[in-house]
Amino acid sequence: MKIVNLKVNGVGKAFISKPETTLLLALREQLGLMGAKRGCAQGACGSCTVLLDGQPVVSCLVPAVTVDGADVATVEGLAHGEELSPVQQAFLDGFATQCGFCTPGMIMSAEALLDRNPHPTRDEVAEAISGNVCRCTGYEPIISAILDAAERRSL
Amino acid sequence: MLTEVHVPEDVPAAVGLIAAGATILGGGTSLMPRLNDYGSPPTELVSLRRTGLAGIHADGSAVTIGATTTLAQLEHDARIKFLNPVVRSIASVPVRNLATVAGNLFVPQPYGDLAVALVALDARATVAAQPSGGSQPSGGGQPGPSRQVSVELLAGTAALVTAVTFELPRPGAFKYLKAARRRFNSASLVTVAATITEEGGVVSAARVALGGVSDRIVRATAVEAALLGRPLTTETVEDAARAGLEQIEPRDDAYGSAWYRRRVFPVHLRRALLGR
Repeated sequence: MKIVNLKVNGVGKAFISKPETTLLLALREQLGLMGAKRGCAQGACGSCTVLLDGQPVVSCLVPAVTVDGADVATVEGLAHGEELSPVQQAFLDGFATQCGFCTPGMIMSAEALLDRNPHPTRDEVAEAISGNVCRCTGYEPIISAILDAAERRSL
Repeated sequence: MLTEVHVPEDVPAAVGLIAAGATILGGGTSLMPRLNDYGSPPTELVSLRRTGLAGIHADGSAVTIGATTTLAQLEHDARIKFLNPVVRSIASVPVRNLATVAGNLFVPQPYGDLAVALVALDARATVAAQPSGGSQPSGGGQPGPSRQVSVELLAGTAALVTAVTFELPRPGAFKYLKAARRRFNSASLVTVAATITEEGGVVSAARVALGGVSDRIVRATAVEAALLGRPLTTETVEDAARAGLEQIEPRDDAYGSAWYRRRVFPVHLRRALLGR
């Protein structure tokens, strides 16, 4: 058991971690942030994607004790009160979410892409979400929503 | 199940823990999926995340990449831009932000495309020495000097790699092509990486490595021999592919059959070396 300190969505958090506690499990079960999902637990589906020190990672593959002191951003930290982030609003307006299981990971991958590349091509969007599996929407509305969000962010 | 995850602050501490039986954890993208099933035997890990082994150094033509440098860091480094297509052919962005350069040397086929490229580049790995006492609990033994090993010889070992070094290839000499089921985020059907030098209209040096076509990375010496001394033409590459077919031993897996891999290997060798 080790005490792990993280800054999660800008707020300092501390919790006791067992060796097998992944960053994903810590977020969900110890910090009560249920946005990131446990899908495959193999790093293949992307539903657990969060930003670790600004970069998107599959949090199911990260032992929490190895990232003590890190900055973590999850989907819960994007909205300001009732005001959704441009990516969230574009997903909502463009019907880019159906069952919603992949959505938090998809959105965090999109946020990271637009932070790094504010005006991506359609192909760059496809590459950025190639690690996020969606079994509902068929990806096209998601890609369109991310391109839409890029425009909204530049306004 | 995981019984302990050590996070040492330097290499000697990591070496001591490995000698005492801990398993090396790089980015975790290959190891953690196996541990997440809760069915694994008790396992102690030593994470390299805080050992200070990340970083890319380019000194003239020599490039040294620290072991825990992530694939994403390679992807965005302009000094080694020729490796960008290699890195982008591997997994997805959230995985590349975790996966490490040294870790890629140890992943099983049909993964490990960066390692295929590093074999083609004749890269050498710096391996930290074990403390005296070998694989037994260290009892305070001091690490000896590190050594350099060809990356071809690392598979199946439990070496702690601290860095990978290679010479920048001449412009245009490095060739790479990966055939996969999807454009992004898919394992290899056939990966071809090569460094080819041409002088006087013929191939004067060739180093060819293949992924996806065996249970290990194949250094395609038969292909190299068939290329040497000949002009790099369609006929030459077709002859080299025929020679290479004798050296590969593809397997069936979820990505493709052995039959299919044998069929497409000559096509992708030609596309990799000739660009058509």
